Amino acid sequence: MLSLEHVSVTFNEGTPNEVRALQDFSLFVGDGEFITVIGSNGAGKSTLFNVISGAVQPHSGRIELDGRDITYRPEYLRSHDIGRVFQDPRLGTCPGLTIRENLSLAAIHGRSAGFRRDVKAAHESWFFEQLEQQHLGLEHRLDADVALLSGGQRQAITLVMATLTKPKLLLLDEHTAALDPNAAEQVIALTEQLASADDLSVVMITHSMQQACQLGDRVIMMNQGRIVFEIAGEERRNLTPADLIERFHSLDSGAELSDRQLLG
Amino acid sequence: MTATASSGDQPRARSASAGLQFALRLIALAAVVAFFMSVGNVNIGAIGQGLGYALAGVTVFLTFRVLNFVDLTVDGAFPIGGATCAILIVNGHSPEFAIIAAFVAGALTGLATALIDIIFKIEGLLASIIVITAAYTVTLHIMGGKSNIPLLGEETLISRHSKNFRNWLVEQFGDQMRRQSTNLLEIMIFGAIVIIVLLILYWFLRTEIGLAIRATGKNEQMVRATGLNHYLMIAVGLMTANGLAAIAGSMVVQQFGFADVSLGFGLIIRGLAAVIIGEVLLRPRSVGQLLVAAVVGMLVFDISRAWIFSALDLPTTDIQFVSALVVLAALGAPRLYDRWKSYRQRHSS
Repeated sequence: MLSLEHVSVTFNEGTPNEVRALQDFSLFVGDGEFITVIGSNGAGKSTLFNVISGAVQPHSGRIELDGRDITYRPEYLRSHDIGRVFQDPRLGTCPGLTIRENLSLAAIHGRSAGFRRDVKAAHESWFFEQLEQQHLGLEHRLDADVALLSGGQRQAITLVMATLTKPKLLLLDEHTAALDPNAAEQVIALTEQLASADDLSVVMITHSMQQACQLGDRVIMMNQGRIVFEIAGEERRNLTPADLIERFHSLDSGAELSDRQLLG
Repeated sequence: MTATASSGDQPRARSASAGLQFALRLIALAAVVAFFMSVGNVNIGAIGQGLGYALAGVTVFLTFRVLNFVDLTVDGAFPIGGATCAILIVNGHSPEFAIIAAFVAGALTGLATALIDIIFKIEGLLASIIVITAAYTVTLHIMGGKSNIPLLGEETLISRHSKNFRNWLVEQFGDQMRRQSTNLLEIMIFGAIVIIVLLILYWFLRTEIGLAIRATGKNEQMVRATGLNHYLMIAVGLMTANGLAAIAGSMVVQQFGFADVSLGFGLIIRGLAAVIIGEVLLRPRSVGQLLVAAVVGMLVFDISRAWIFSALDLPTTDIQFVSALVVLAALGAPRLYDRWKSYRQRHSS
């Protein structure tokens, strides 16, 4: 499905502020696989997503999606196969437009926009069904301005929009981090539902160890632009948040130690 | 489908009542304006002039509000449109053809700004100033090196019918209508053009491309994530907007009876005033209402300026100063009102 081979990204190269966001990074995501990515701030998680979606171009390495080299493909063309949900609920939907218009926009996905009518009667029942599955009651508010919705509702709409036209890959960037616990739970349930319904590959960044254990087939821990450890198979199934936190901290204290040694 | 039909009823009913409120505000505004015009003895020529400039207000609405793109290109696209129209009419082409050619010229001006923004990543404000600077020379070249082209004796949309219309008007309503015949004719012809353009634009903004253009101004990141080429949307949006400015330019040229290289001076601020006046007075919600509000805003602008002129009995040399005052009032009054409101709230409790 998706493969990254020896991808490196460096920001501010050659200056004192040089950041090596991804270092010789390789990852393979299989068809229908669900991967959760954890790691402290600045570990390169968001850069990983930006490089997959095309917002950032790698300095070296190769990215393939479904056997096709997409390393230098423009972001908007890649979006045909890749759905994204961001941490900020405001980024995924368009305020000032109604839910119906937002979904209509997502329905263009994969084609080029033409002179057809923006909001089509034929889409009505499709949108209705998609929103009905969420049990948020939004299917009755198709004419509501998205700006009037709560963060959780907007994130739910974004999820539906991102998967509406069945992309191959779904990238979730801490998409519940800005939500209250209740809304986060609902959005996670919706995520599981959407990910299982279609044979969709999902990569999810999260800071919640709970979510990292609850969702997905594989956990990846990133640090300083590399994969530090990977947990899959039997070990992953038996994984608890406590285990994960322990491993997280063992890594942290290691870094702390080396810092202290350097300073001392 | 049955479920959607029943669920759709309520919002539709709500939006119908919102439309009714808008219509009522529009009628009330028309009544107030008519009252002021009759009391202040304002000539109805101000309406014709407002209609001539109205599409430039729509330009500013499209760039500033829809695309969220700070674009001053209108100052250059307007005279380019006027010059294109004038030179074609002088060379014997029909006014209709001249207007369409002006639209194309204006669209290319908008494309220039879009390309500078897209290729060099120079923000809209600077990109459009670069284009305006170049547009001055382009306008002079279009006019064959002259800074002014008179249309006296040429067939324009107005002059074509003015004689017949005047005769008909005098026949029907008597000789006192003779003085107003050109003004009335302008209102009718320009009104028809503005309505036709608004209808086309309304259709366009509600196509998939139109939706994508509206979304680009609201959330460019999302448009990219949706797999749409946001560069294309910016380019198409700026081309449409400045094409409209050029149509306005060609209308005003036919109204004034001459084209001039400095015709677009200060137009951006006038368009901005029109958009804000329309928003403050009519509080538009939907796409269609916003378009109407921009046009009405331009009309109110021209009428209030004419009212100040006749009330204070000013010479025409003061026109730009009065324009600036009206713009200041339109931009400043809502802000002052907000501050006064919060001041009242603080001190009432």
